[in-house]
Amino acid sequence: MTIFRLGEQTPPPPRRITDTVVERLEHQYEVDPDLMQITPQQDMPVWDSRRIFNARWDHLDWMHAHFADEVLLAGEESETMEEHP
Amino acid sequence: MSPVAFKSAVDDHVVEELRAIIGDDARVRPDQSSRAFRSRVPAPFPVHRWAEHYPDVVILPKTAIEVSEVVKLANRHKIPIVPRAGGTGLSDGAVPLRGGIMIDCKLMNQIHEIDLVDRTVTVGPGINMLKLNEELKQHGVIYPDDPASYPCSLVGGRIGTGGWSLLGARYGHTRDLVISMEVVLPTGEIVEIAEGGGRKLRKSSTGLTLKQLFTGHQGTLGITTQATLELVPRPEVEFAAFFAFDEYIKAWETTGILTKSGLATIAGVVLFDEKKIEYLRRDDEAYIPQPDTVNAVVAVAMYGRRCEVEPASKEIMRLGKSNTGKYLGDEISAGDWASRHDRYATPLHGRDLDGQAVLMSWHCEDAALNYSVLPQVREEWHAIVARYRERYGIFDDWGMFAYTSGAHKPWADYLVEIDVGIWEQKLNDEYWAAWVDCKREIAQVSLKYGGSITACHGATREGDADLVPEEMGSAWPVVKAIKRALDPNNVMNPGKQSLDEAYE
Repeated sequence: MTIFRLGEQTPPPPRRITDTVVERLEHQYEVDPDLMQITPQQDMPVWDSRRIFNARWDHLDWMHAHFADEVLLAGEESETMEEHP
Repeated sequence: MSPVAFKSAVDDHVVEELRAIIGDDARVRPDQSSRAFRSRVPAPFPVHRWAEHYPDVVILPKTAIEVSEVVKLANRHKIPIVPRAGGTGLSDGAVPLRGGIMIDCKLMNQIHEIDLVDRTVTVGPGINMLKLNEELKQHGVIYPDDPASYPCSLVGGRIGTGGWSLLGARYGHTRDLVISMEVVLPTGEIVEIAEGGGRKLRKSSTGLTLKQLFTGHQGTLGITTQATLELVPRPEVEFAAFFAFDEYIKAWETTGILTKSGLATIAGVVLFDEKKIEYLRRDDEAYIPQPDTVNAVVAVAMYGRRCEVEPASKEIMRLGKSNTGKYLGDEISAGDWASRHDRYATPLHGRDLDGQAVLMSWHCEDAALNYSVLPQVREEWHAIVARYRERYGIFDDWGMFAYTSGAHKPWADYLVEIDVGIWEQKLNDEYWAAWVDCKREIAQVSLKYGGSITACHGATREGDADLVPEEMGSAWPVVKAIKRALDPNNVMNPGKQSLDEAYE
């Protein structure tokens, strides 16, 4: 039996991304905690955040396969992120 | 003549009659939880007056004969009937306004026939498109009706509301994909409704074309108990591309370029306006890191055979960039497009006037508008919502989308939506009245520009419903005559779309 301890799964301190968004885990954005005073956040262990994040990609992959046999890509890099890495 | 369906008269005697018709007490539900769960839809709801929208009893029929007998009972006792499928609508089509008997069709979810020769599938109204397509996949075909509620809405609701599909430019919308129906009329007769006769014919010139009359009536003209639907070849490939613009007008121009390109495999083009990008930049991982130069987006998707889509995709990339558009990249293009099939999974929160995140429900005010008027309508709609947000503090402008809306003809008609967050916990009579006024002002702008107040959600809520006679204009007496002829006791979803006027 695995006993969950938040202390071992506490995410790192946030890094500011924009005026209203922070990031604790790579590519996982969160509303700035200062803007969550009316709707308090719960403590999320790292594994649970990862699970939700990965499930989202699983869901999108499933949707692709549901509607067509194959996804064609343009095969081109983002032209907007190039100017703002 | 006065409207004769009113706040209901469902008593113990009526419930016993319903039990005798259904023959299964588990499918006749007068209990509070069964009624409460079926009294609202995802659209903002007057939660402070929740109980006023309870049906008096819910039934879950399994056959058209059961539906027919219940409707006949309703006529004998002058009790309102409210049909309900998935309950995912964005207006009040499935919300009881006067109590009554709710007919929930979820148990009528069978696939009756798959005909791979004449390319049809016949189903009950309670089946979901996602589940249907999981079954159809093994046969190499698909039923391509694809709303934002794709994983949770049901075929019966799609027919009742006259639904719009994300893939409609390629495959048509619900009304184009339904070939024929079995319908229980407001007086209880069971009839076959098609183009003419023939359950599997796509076109006929015999008699009157009744099929369209029974598609998109918001549950006011009957209940579909079976539907024969179109099957199309399952696409070999999907291609989606998203292009960014520094200003709305260039994105709007590019939308026109793409939709007039003549590429037949285009399934849909979506225009995101500046307010929508501003909203996504708060909460959507795809847009948060984008530079400030991204202020509007155009998305385009194609489906079909590889031999058609692959060369056409090169042209899409050229056209998408031809007016300063910048490609957002493969990851966003494929991923964001996939998420369009399931917008009901979006967490619903907005910002109050201080920027604090608060729980909000999602109102999607839609209209059908021509391409030429989109820029003007956008400005006026945002100004209206800004005024109400500033005054009341419980509304949030989540921006606008414009989607291609002409079946097989994507160049001129758009389903246009302004998404508005509403802080439901704060609602009271004053705030609800303000919201209805806000809706009405938005709808009046649509009419001013020659549009329709709804492309697919239905004009069933106050604020919209009272403008239906104005929009229908000289055809309104015809609408009222049809309603009165088919539903002499006004039992079928009464109070919707100003149709009570048919009995005045």
